[in-house]
Amino acid sequence: MRKTWTLSLALAVPLALAACGGSAPAGTTTGGGEQSGGTIKIGSLHPLSGSSAADGQQMDNGAKLAVEAINNAGGIKSQGGKKLELVSADTQGKPEVGQSEAQRLIQEGAVGLVGTYQSAVSANVSTVSERNKVPFVIDVSSADSILAQGYKYTFRVQPSSTVLGTSGAQFLDQVAKAGGKPVKTVAVLHEQGPFGTAVRDAFKAEAEKAGIKVGPAIAYDAASVSDLTTQITQVKASGADVLMVAGYYRDGVLAAKAVDTVKPPALNAVYGVANGAFDLPQFPKEVGAAAEGYFDANYHADMTKPDMQALAKLYQEKYNDAIRTGAVLAYDSVEVIAAALEKAGSAEPAKVRDAIASGEVPTLIAGPGTIKFGPTGENLNATPILMQVQSGAPKQVFPADKAEAQPVYPAFKSQ
Amino acid sequence: MTSSPDQDHVAAGNGGGVATLDPDELPTAAPRTVPWLRIGVIAALIVVAIVLAYVRAGSGVVVVQAVTTGILIGGVYGLVAMGLTLIFGVLDIVNFAHGSFLALALFLTFGLTQAGLHVYLALAVSVPAMFLLGVLVQRGILAGAMGKPLENQLLITLGISLIIENALLLFFGANPRSVALSGDRGVPIFEAVANLSRILAFVGALLLAGLLYLLLQRTRLGTAIRAVAANDTGAQLVGIDTRVIYAVTFALGTACAGAAGTLVAPLVTIEPTTGSLFNIVAFVVVVLGGMGNVVGALIGGLIIGLAEQLGGIYLPGQSPLLSVFIVFVLVLFLRPQGLFRRSA
Repeated sequence: MRKTWTLSLALAVPLALAACGGSAPAGTTTGGGEQSGGTIKIGSLHPLSGSSAADGQQMDNGAKLAVEAINNAGGIKSQGGKKLELVSADTQGKPEVGQSEAQRLIQEGAVGLVGTYQSAVSANVSTVSERNKVPFVIDVSSADSILAQGYKYTFRVQPSSTVLGTSGAQFLDQVAKAGGKPVKTVAVLHEQGPFGTAVRDAFKAEAEKAGIKVGPAIAYDAASVSDLTTQITQVKASGADVLMVAGYYRDGVLAAKAVDTVKPPALNAVYGVANGAFDLPQFPKEVGAAAEGYFDANYHADMTKPDMQALAKLYQEKYNDAIRTGAVLAYDSVEVIAAALEKAGSAEPAKVRDAIASGEVPTLIAGPGTIKFGPTGENLNATPILMQVQSGAPKQVFPADKAEAQPVYPAFKSQ
Repeated sequence: MTSSPDQDHVAAGNGGGVATLDPDELPTAAPRTVPWLRIGVIAALIVVAIVLAYVRAGSGVVVVQAVTTGILIGGVYGLVAMGLTLIFGVLDIVNFAHGSFLALALFLTFGLTQAGLHVYLALAVSVPAMFLLGVLVQRGILAGAMGKPLENQLLITLGISLIIENALLLFFGANPRSVALSGDRGVPIFEAVANLSRILAFVGALLLAGLLYLLLQRTRLGTAIRAVAANDTGAQLVGIDTRVIYAVTFALGTACAGAAGTLVAPLVTIEPTTGSLFNIVAFVVVVLGGMGNVVGALIGGLIIGLAEQLGGIYLPGQSPLLSVFIVFVLVLFLRPQGLFRRSA
């Protein structure tokens, strides 16, 4: 009988969760902000535990700093200086948890949501936000499909996979030509999920326009891969002169270690596109001298802006850690909602949504201008910049107006 | 689901009545005979797989590299699985916390190397420390659940793994860490290359497997462990203190996880969740090698390592776990009791 009991408990838990998730009728949540003791609630949904906890905690911290900055500057002035309150939730990186947590935050009166890092989680949260008519500003999640649903309440601050892949190919072509060694063949190593494949497709299309041959394209599973030596040996056998890598942190480190072991002789550069490893300060620390010269075309905090330098310093003091771009995107996303609250003069989610759609907000991310959303909710000014590991630290190298240092191409001395 | 026919097998010894597809399974087979025919068949299948991979890839270097990497990774998988299979064979506990014990050893190794100790000298600390932890966990938490239904122990070990993982997250934070091996470099093997740290981890795994095998086969303690695995009531009747054997066996298992953790520390990015990477594979290896069979676990590890790497050539772009599970399902279909049955 004990077995039956265990089984029924196991069945009951998800059912109970589903019931909580599905019970809120549409449009019942407006005005929650005004009732809760004079603060306006903003929900932050990030993976605070699980395998992406490092990024998730950074992003949650970024959102907290934004709320503190706004409150210290006098709150939302058009609403009598009302203060913001950040309600954080842990998605655990799981779509179903993200969905039920989004529902919970909305029921607790959040007038806007920011999140969530993983595309699969963001896709579920965007459905919840659409159903409840509460705006959702995506800080990090690049899958194109999220904004292809025609949702009115979802916005994205970071560039989509297509923009990342396309700009990545253009930057590579320009930097290689400037270095006097135009690219002939690019081998692609990418994680097999929607993010990696979308980046690969966009990169390939744009690179072929520039007359660059792309192949072989090798995919791997980022969650369970434990060694990439065989894949890098395939790259070596292909004789490609550039290796493009699109993936996350742990697998990026594995790729760099494998390149260092195999040492493909024809390789002029390893070139990340939206790579989760190559532009992080931890990367050269973990890989050592072998990280030198690695490129990454990625959205990135603009360290040439004084405001950004101040935020990086504040983050270091408060959390004793170097700020990552994810945290800056979360910071910007909260600013987007705050600016909309200011403009709308109301905390009603539908009005906040309209203010976000028509607003324009300054950003700390390197790019051509302010955050401004197009009809699909995509940030029109979201572009990557090119970073390169130089003297043990990632530096902004391209385009020239965002550069902290000159790009070095070919990145590797002849081996 | 596969455990019950296997357990029936234990009492039946090597002359069990379960129908198998292997011709060498004759009732006359002596208990300790090495199953050469079966090993030959497996080796022949591996050779065929390698030849097919060569045809598919069209490049000798890539296949040689895949085989080298596969064998080297497989040794580490084998070491992790040995601890798990020992615990399952003797205590009948499905230990979901095994990966978390490995993660704990990774962090311990990280701490020791930060304090200036060489990575491989850290073994002298991490193995005894994990052994001690194993004794404490078995006596303190699991002893009360011995003999209770399987799901009790399963949920307890799952709980332990959640506690360890989140305690690591709480105390160390989520930032990835790494242990550098000074003088680590690529070592050429035929046309392939492998990191020195990977080769050392493989050699270390083989040495520890040999030690464990000797301990089980050649010492009084090992004999007692095998006796408890075969029949714990019988072992009690001849005067073996099964409580001590349970604690020691569980501790040997966690010590294996500890050794594996230290040996792989230079190869992996150290995060609280790193252990779970090894968990799934280790379970597959345990069932593949025959639950409770230590040597089977090592051979199973090598097969899975090869399946993972060669699978990457056959099925590019798929998870390495896909080819692992294809092999796993085939083995379960043809030999439900695992490739090698219980050594007890």
